[in-house]
Amino acid sequence: MHKLLETLLIGLSTGSIYALMSIALVLVWRSTRVVNFAQAGQAMLSTYIGFEIASRTEIFWLGLAFAIAAGALLGAGVDFFFMRVLFKHAVSGAAAVVAPVIATLGLLGLIRSIVGLIWGGEFKSIKAPASTDGFTIGETTIPFSALNLLVIGTVFSILIVLAIVFQRTNLGLSLRASAYAPEIAQLAGIKTARIRTIGWAIAGGVGGVAGMLVTSNNFLSPYSLDLLLVFGFIAAVIGGLESMVGSVVGALILGIALTFILNYVGTSLVFIGGFVVLILVLLVKPDGIMAKGKARRA
Amino acid sequence: MRKKIAFFIFLGWILLLIGDRVDELRVYQGAQIAMYTIALASIVLLTGYSGQVSLGNGAMMAVGGYSAALTLNNLGSPVWVAFLMAIVASALFGAFLGTAAARLSGPYLAGTTLALAVGLPEIANQFNFLGGVPGLLFDVGFPPERLGEEFTQYKWFFWIASFIALLALFITSNILQSRYGRTWRAIRSSPLAAELSGINSSRMKILAFTISSALAGLAGAVMAMTISLVAPGAYTLTLSFALVTGAVLAGVSSLPGVVFGALILVAIPEVADVVATRFGGGENLNNYLPTLIVSVLLILSVIFTPNGPGEKLRRHHHKKKI
Repeated sequence: MHKLLETLLIGLSTGSIYALMSIALVLVWRSTRVVNFAQAGQAMLSTYIGFEIASRTEIFWLGLAFAIAAGALLGAGVDFFFMRVLFKHAVSGAAAVVAPVIATLGLLGLIRSIVGLIWGGEFKSIKAPASTDGFTIGETTIPFSALNLLVIGTVFSILIVLAIVFQRTNLGLSLRASAYAPEIAQLAGIKTARIRTIGWAIAGGVGGVAGMLVTSNNFLSPYSLDLLLVFGFIAAVIGGLESMVGSVVGALILGIALTFILNYVGTSLVFIGGFVVLILVLLVKPDGIMAKGKARRA
Repeated sequence: MRKKIAFFIFLGWILLLIGDRVDELRVYQGAQIAMYTIALASIVLLTGYSGQVSLGNGAMMAVGGYSAALTLNNLGSPVWVAFLMAIVASALFGAFLGTAAARLSGPYLAGTTLALAVGLPEIANQFNFLGGVPGLLFDVGFPPERLGEEFTQYKWFFWIASFIALLALFITSNILQSRYGRTWRAIRSSPLAAELSGINSSRMKILAFTISSALAGLAGAVMAMTISLVAPGAYTLTLSFALVTGAVLAGVSSLPGVVFGALILVAIPEVADVVATRFGGGENLNNYLPTLIVSVLLILSVIFTPNGPGEKLRRHHHKKKI
């Protein structure tokens, strides 16, 4: 019974971090039609910056703030200096399908090597902002800790802020409009290019938070966020790659499913478990769990 | 056709001559180039021709490597049977995966195969018969005695790898020039038009996936031979990325380009090493300069010559004629 509860809670905590990553991927996909594999790299660089601040000032939250800022700047920069150039060289021919994928992979490698050149390959750790000792229920101690609770809390406050921005502000309306129908949004007076860059910035900031939260419970290295990218992508596909709510739900489902595999089946099968979940979703509901039919697809 | 066979035999003869004239390290790198050539051919067939992006070729190589190792160790079969098993097993796996993949496009497929590349090699850690982290031995044995005392192990690897690579390239180039190759290109340029001409595009895509996996599996077995073992650590995400990089740098739809791409993949660490020493070395520089060079090349080539350096030249040539 304890094991079941523990699995659910830990799954919720891991899943909530995947949710941030998948939201970042969905935001970029909706506005640019690119799955940004460099998101892991952007999150990594922001996390390293957050790590520097957090380890110098010993204040985790200041590090987090810097990571968000760095992530946002980086996201906007990638769109402005990289994606615009890529799309300007209107790609045609055999590589047209692969170009955006390859370009973001190249960017991932570039950021990874820059991080490696500056910080090296050794594992870094950020001092966790809360206790990592598990809670005790009655006589048994479960691995679910105050840190896990804090992670869930942080993620959900960010989700609420995002929901307010997207549903209640003009900026959110422009973001949704230019993702849904760029031409019409442009006719309505929205500067879609600028809005797109803002979307990338939000995605970058959210990715930065994901990186910091993962690292607070783990190590940071130039490769440590690759898994986050993969699981974030799977979560986004479960949600249909279009819907932010869907991707959050997808991430929570994935987090819980993977923790079940981890606790009940076998440690090394977690990674292939993600793949199996992905294939199942694509075979059964390729448009994602939130799909309501084709009508709303622009 | 006869001309082509003659050309490949001539190529083999040149490789034999080269193999006799260079030192041990170069021979080893030659075997690596042969291995990458096969692996890149699998990407050219899949991405360049049928238009599907796979980031999971490292996983396919793992399937091939492990099947070959299991055959060799448990059945005690001759080496060529092991290589054959690598092809068969990875082709079957590819057909299975292709059935799911044919319904996916672009980024979906890329992400799915990425998840595969991350997950599949880890399975080996779970089951004892796959050898866990240290992996399984893969020993093709000593070179035959009649080749002489001087004939080294690495040269034997080089011979086997080159022979397999030449054979694989020959077969692949024939497939690509056949009806199948043309059909794949038709699907890639316009799926709708292809369907209207009576092509079953999903079946053709599955076929492309199957053949491409078979090639990747073969490359995986060759790689296992050159490093004498199969282990999860050999078939990493980095390998999968490197393969895509090599294919793009060489021009993703040109089969002869794969040799060039393989050469780049083997040469870049060497070049980076020289540059790093020039700039005073340091551990970070040594470790990350290769990635830096590769990434910058990748980005530049995607932006400026997305279809490979060959295409720009051809187009230039074409313009001059007009």
